[in-house]
Amino acid sequence: MTIAAMQGIVKRYGNELALDYVDLSIHEGEIIGLLGPNGAGKTTLIHTLLGMIPFDKGSIQLFGRTEKVFSHENKQKMGLVTQELTVFEDLTAKENLEFFAGVYGLKGEERKKRVEEALAFVGLSSNAGKTPAKFSGGMKRRLNIACALTHHPKFLIMDEPTVGIDPQSRNHILETVEKLREQGTTILYTTHYMEEVQTIASRVVIVDQGQIITEGTVNELIANIQHEEKINIDVSTPGDVPVERLKGLEGVKNVHVDGSTVQIISTVGSGNLDRVLSLVKETSGVVGIQAEKPDLEDVFLTLTGKQLRDGEEE
Amino acid sequence: MRELYTMRFTALRLIRAWVVLLLLFVVPFVLVTLLSIIMGDAEEGGLLLRNEINVMMVLAFQLFGGSVAMNYIHQDFFTERRYRIQSLPMNTTLYGFTTMLIGTLYSIILGALLAGYTVLVWNVDWGNIAWSIFIIALMATLSSIVCLIFTFSVKKFNIAERLSEVYGVGAILIAGLIFPMPDHAVINWVNEYINPIMLAYEAIDAYRNANVGDAWMNAGLLGGLIVITFVIMLLLGRRRMP
Ligand SMILES: Nc1ncnc2c1ncn2[C@@H]1O[C@H](COP(=O)(O)OP(=O)(O)O)[C@@H](O)[C@H]1O
Ligand SMILES: [Mg+2]
Repeated sequence: MTIAAMQGIVKRYGNELALDYVDLSIHEGEIIGLLGPNGAGKTTLIHTLLGMIPFDKGSIQLFGRTEKVFSHENKQKMGLVTQELTVFEDLTAKENLEFFAGVYGLKGEERKKRVEEALAFVGLSSNAGKTPAKFSGGMKRRLNIACALTHHPKFLIMDEPTVGIDPQSRNHILETVEKLREQGTTILYTTHYMEEVQTIASRVVIVDQGQIITEGTVNELIANIQHEEKINIDVSTPGDVPVERLKGLEGVKNVHVDGSTVQIISTVGSGNLDRVLSLVKETSGVVGIQAEKPDLEDVFLTLTGKQLRDGEEE
Repeated sequence: MRELYTMRFTALRLIRAWVVLLLLFVVPFVLVTLLSIIMGDAEEGGLLLRNEINVMMVLAFQLFGGSVAMNYIHQDFFTERRYRIQSLPMNTTLYGFTTMLIGTLYSIILGALLAGYTVLVWNVDWGNIAWSIFIIALMATLSSIVCLIFTFSVKKFNIAERLSEVYGVGAILIAGLIFPMPDHAVINWVNEYINPIMLAYEAIDAYRNANVGDAWMNAGLLGGLIVITFVIMLLLGRRRMP
């Protein structure tokens, strides 16, 4: 069953195209890993899918509905974990959950039970009576997630739930997602960390500059670029690397200089490596060389010529 | 109803926001106490000064009661939290109104407590206390509406906040409470027909002097301001609220 679908969605901010004819279908039980660098349009995609911001073109379906798509009935079946922390700072963890549980229509004993359960689920039971002001970054993130869980949504949307937290909290959150999947929750999970997507996603959708550039399982995506190879060459004078000349060589798909390392993606084939190496040797001095197994990072690099982490201050 | 269920949480948030309590209760409480001690039983033209000053003081702080509604509407609808609120299966406009209602009620309750304190401890004559609380309620309502108009009409919230301060301080200034205003026709007209603190004071004072007709006239003017600003608020809100 299709849980959510968008067809030909266009969203502009002024002259900037934030979503560029996006088509996406999400099926029951899937965990979609929506992967893309900062500013790719992930949050805009989510806000559009949930009817929170107007869009310029296209259509949206939720739970099979094409009309009254954003009805309360449909919202009742969904949960949103916002990218920013949006819990109430003056309410305790428990009160925050009671607020959301009540708004989702849970009452009396049932509400109490679900609140306890959500607290335990994200490991905040012993801090239930504290306000988020006293929480660490990771604990706040977990509360931010729990607020979308008390009503047991069929479809959970998580917008970068692990941004800016310690590895331990991150693992905790990834385990939470795993548990939700086992319970049959359909999840749309956005992130710019490819390791997360590689761990949890049943299907990966890669976005860049408002466009979906590819989608498939992790293995499919990697298989698609398997006819290419990636070599890293350490050079002594990176300033002299003739990037444009390298790109012009037959078989070379992409060249990227990172510090003193030149990363080259080329089609697998006789002579490619040889031509590349001699040119680099001639101009910049080869110090070392490694070939790597491709991962999602390379899928992104192959398709966009950029690295996922480009421009990120980490 | 789900929207009504949220009210207890808005109230909880409010009670814990000590800055609000400080502004709307502690500061006027201290001022009323100090002024009452300083005034003693001083009279002017046969009238107890304490009566006038204390009533004015309690009313003056009602001009700032709208800061609560404005802050909460801002937090819930004009920060990232708006996306969380919008994702919920409830009528968000109604939720906005309940938030505004709680904020206004809180201001009224604190005003009524202050009035009660001046009566019990300083023997201030408010005339009819029920009528006075009704007038306080009108002022609090007007303040909330005016503050929301500011919230909806400027993009930057800190500018809206400054404007709300201009509203409060301006009304006090024009009323001549800080220093005497020149006897100018425009200023007199504003104080007679528009300045909420003067309308409220006249409404209470007239009732105290058994001049019910005047009392209702001033209350009616306050009510008229509320109706006009409410319509403006709705029009702006429809455009700006998510
Ligand atoms: N409210 C807005 N007004 C103008 N531009 C916006 C707004 N929100 C997002 N954008 C722009 O849209 C693009 C996509 O942003 P976003 O969806 O937040 O990306 P991501 O979530 O992938 O980091 C960015 O270029 C961003 O600057
Ligand atoms: Mg984002």
